[in-house]
Amino acid sequence: MTGFDLHRAAAVARKEVMHILRDPFTLALVLGLPVVLVVFFGFAIDFDVKNLALGVYDRDNTRHSRQLVSVFESSGYFLPGAVDSPAAAARGLDSGRYSAALLVEPGFGRGLGGGGRARVQFIVDGTDNSKAQAVLGYLPGLTGAALRKFGAAVPADPVPLKTRFMYNPELNSRWFVIPGLAVIIIGLLSILMTALTVAREWENGSMELLLSTPLRPAEIIAGKIAPYVGLILAGVFFVNLVARFGFGVPFRGSHLLFLGGTVLFALASLSQGIVISVVTRQQQLAMQLSMISGLLPSLLLSGFIFPVESMPVFFRYFTMILSPRWFMEIARGVTIRGAGAADLALPLAALAALCALLLAAAFKKFKTDLEP
Amino acid sequence: MNAGPALEVRGLSIKFGDFTAVDDVSFSVKRGEIFGFLGANGAGKTTTIRMLCGLLLPTSGSATVGGLDFSDGGKGIKGKVGYMSQKFTLYNDLTVGENLDFAAGLRKLSPAYALRRRRELFDLIAFDSPLSTMVSSLPGGVKQELSLAAAMLHDPEIVFLDEPTAGVSPASRARFWALIRKVTELGKTVIVTTHYMDEAEQCGRIALMRTGKLIALGSPAELKGAAFPGPMVELDFNGPAPAAALGGLGKAAGLLELSPHGMRWHAAFRDRPAMEAALAALPPGASRAVIEPSLEDVFIRLVEGAER
Amino acid sequence: MKRTLLAFIRKEFAQALRDPRMKLILFVMPMIQMTVFGLALSSEIKNIKLASVYAPSDAAARRLAQRFTASGWFLPVAAEGLAPEDLVVSGAADAALVFPAGGFARQAARGRGGVQLLVDGTSVTRARSVEAYARAIFAAHAAAEAGLPVSAAPFGFDVRIIYNPEMESPVFMVPGVMGMIVCLVTIILTSMSLTRERELGTFETIVSAPLENYEILLGKTLPYIVLGLANAALVIAAGFFIFGVPVRGDLWRLFSAALAFVITTVSVGTLISTVSKNQQQAMLGGFIFLFPAVLMSGIMYPVENMPALLKPVVYANPLYYFTTLLRNILLKGGDHAVFVFNMSALAAMAVAAGAAAYGRFRQTLN
Repeated sequence: MTGFDLHRAAAVARKEVMHILRDPFTLALVLGLPVVLVVFFGFAIDFDVKNLALGVYDRDNTRHSRQLVSVFESSGYFLPGAVDSPAAAARGLDSGRYSAALLVEPGFGRGLGGGGRARVQFIVDGTDNSKAQAVLGYLPGLTGAALRKFGAAVPADPVPLKTRFMYNPELNSRWFVIPGLAVIIIGLLSILMTALTVAREWENGSMELLLSTPLRPAEIIAGKIAPYVGLILAGVFFVNLVARFGFGVPFRGSHLLFLGGTVLFALASLSQGIVISVVTRQQQLAMQLSMISGLLPSLLLSGFIFPVESMPVFFRYFTMILSPRWFMEIARGVTIRGAGAADLALPLAALAALCALLLAAAFKKFKTDLEP
Repeated sequence: MNAGPALEVRGLSIKFGDFTAVDDVSFSVKRGEIFGFLGANGAGKTTTIRMLCGLLLPTSGSATVGGLDFSDGGKGIKGKVGYMSQKFTLYNDLTVGENLDFAAGLRKLSPAYALRRRRELFDLIAFDSPLSTMVSSLPGGVKQELSLAAAMLHDPEIVFLDEPTAGVSPASRARFWALIRKVTELGKTVIVTTHYMDEAEQCGRIALMRTGKLIALGSPAELKGAAFPGPMVELDFNGPAPAAALGGLGKAAGLLELSPHGMRWHAAFRDRPAMEAALAALPPGASRAVIEPSLEDVFIRLVEGAER
Repeated sequence: MKRTLLAFIRKEFAQALRDPRMKLILFVMPMIQMTVFGLALSSEIKNIKLASVYAPSDAAARRLAQRFTASGWFLPVAAEGLAPEDLVVSGAADAALVFPAGGFARQAARGRGGVQLLVDGTSVTRARSVEAYARAIFAAHAAAEAGLPVSAAPFGFDVRIIYNPEMESPVFMVPGVMGMIVCLVTIILTSMSLTRERELGTFETIVSAPLENYEILLGKTLPYIVLGLANAALVIAAGFFIFGVPVRGDLWRLFSAALAFVITTVSVGTLISTVSKNQQQAMLGGFIFLFPAVLMSGIMYPVENMPALLKPVVYANPLYYFTTLLRNILLKGGDHAVFVFNMSALAAMAVAAGAAAYGRFRQTLN
């Protein structure tokens, strides 16, 4: 049993580089696709819920009720449209024409004017999570605005609350979306790359050729992974250029730290691809497993959009086995918050552990294949 | 059954972009014949066969296969022929029965007819494993025999076999060729491509192809006669051939061909006197024997010789 | 025709269902995904790590800080020894509430010195929610300290959330996740199927039979439409039985929506399969379709606010229509106009993708 030979690993890597260079499609894909997707979704994803269609039934039709509607209109969040009956409002909600409805019964203005208490009904469509949460969040602000408009004695805040949004004072959602997108796209492409190249070698029988040589599994794995790490780093570099100069996303932390995190993440994802391809040995199954273990979990469970902290306890622990969840923290932490290695010790350690685990799994799976 | 030729090909050509894969090929094949295509990789054998099966449409030229032409886009021809491609054509992840059922479905055969044909073909290829056997678990030779059965399920008049014995053991190759002869005894016409000279010897006639062109056509004996009108000698120098001797022989008048065969050399001459004159000049240690040229010699002379 | 189709269906089923790993992926994975995503996902912001910075002797500040903890949205974190900014920078806290140094009550009485809320602005939605929660807690606290009931304001909204009054996350998420899973399974199965036959060489066997193009295409798609429908039925049943997601609309509408969607995605997958040269390209093609389809479906964030230039992508996304249909039929009981509109959109896309696949399909080789 010989040890790991760097020269032999380099030979495998050279062969893989030749493959990549001869296939401009893959090359263009790894270098170009992340940038294209980041630009596209950087523009497309917007968490601001604006211009929501609001059905307004105003039976009261007094100065106060009209003022209330104008508060909604001027908030920018809603596009009020009049309906003639509560039933029409309900139908509009049913058909999805309106996301919410405001019903003002007669006596509203009189109640307000008389110094009493006036209530209006506000109905929210509870089928669309992304909108319903936002609409509910707007209501307290709208209440205050309406009170001021009515000239009512607004109970002054006894203590003023001054909020300072750190790192992203204007709450630009691109700063949040773009680093996250980059993590997901890079992770997925890495898995796809190795899952298919290795599975294809199995299907074509060329893997048996590799295995019949004195190459050690570790050498084959290192040789297969190394060129893609380089390719992915190049992809990340372009994505960061676009993020910084195209979208004005700041980069506040250490580049070296970011590079370290990226290498760990790329290694982990590429190893995941190798494990998949060794387990399946067939391209179609490899694709299915990559998509199932890659696409949906990294989109949904990594904290990209749905916050990990809001998940039930079990799932908060479950997400710990996902490398994108950790790199998401690192990427956002380093770029936006300027977090240092000490601040990111946990995610870095977790990512390193996952990376080691996946590499070991790829190595072990390969080894058992060598000795049937 | 009409008595015309099984296959009649006139000036058939196909181009892929600028590349002419098959260039002005003409020949005809009689019913019940074993007709072989011999040529190097990329010579155009597979492309010719694919055209004649209706899988590719020719750029120019005409052909009738089983009396039908390409006017319907190859549909009619597809019904008349059976095709076994170079790549493995059965599904490894299906059972024998499932593969044959699928082949029957592709040809829209009625279940009763498909069952009868399956029995006949199993007899023909002497297949007796259960239908539920996974194809992936069968040995290579049996897989090829089964592929042939699948290609013949609809009882085609003409069977095209594209390198049917590539990658199987010598014993299986012999078995498969016995099977091909049995198929022609049933009145079928078999068109086969091969790399193996010993297989080509078993064909009724052979078409030799090189870079898309048909360069020779005839029975093995005719091809040998045409390529080598004079005698051929096998020389054995009992070791590496002395360069001087070979050089002298190479310049001898009336030499048609000099080629190495392992440690030995084959030399072909225009006629007997030329041979005797050349051999007289050789050192005495070399043993010499007049031999019948093989198809391999023909192939070397016509195909590789033309490339020099 | 019928015989050929039946033969294709039997063959594709045998291939897809023999491999136990494939069975696992087709039938067990969707259930696991439904469970994981249905239970785990929530766009509600909670468990916000809050550091409150005040002098130990400041009882008024402690009362307010306790009110934050009691609200259920915030988790207190220790603030000793560190500057509030550093707490946020290190990620130890998502927000910090900094009380005035001179004592909260005293400063408040003088009408000076507000409370500062430092919020990590990295996550925009989260930062907004934190501020909104804080304002609501401040108002409630002020009212309580003054001895007033919270509802004393002269005006307020009676909010009613319809279709999902409890705001249960699974009810929100499951219809969207269902669509994603069905989309994923059908695209993966079909985008590689023709390419695979070409790569393995079995395609030659198929085209050597005298078949029409549409017969081969139907043969390669029909089995997957059936499998996709089975999958859709499975995930809908799981949503109903495991998560109690209501099925308020007609079953025939649900079935037609699933059928139209599955036909569309199978056609798209087949189109990918006809344009790909090898399985790797097919897989990347599948990814290039799936990634935007999932992101632009309205499941993860509202797509209505997208720039006008990008809106056509949403309108060309079958998953967007299917998600709309599922939410409408399952949760709202199915509005006829919504049904007709979205079904027409899906049908148009199915026809377009099917026609493109048919147009791209060649029986000839090379």
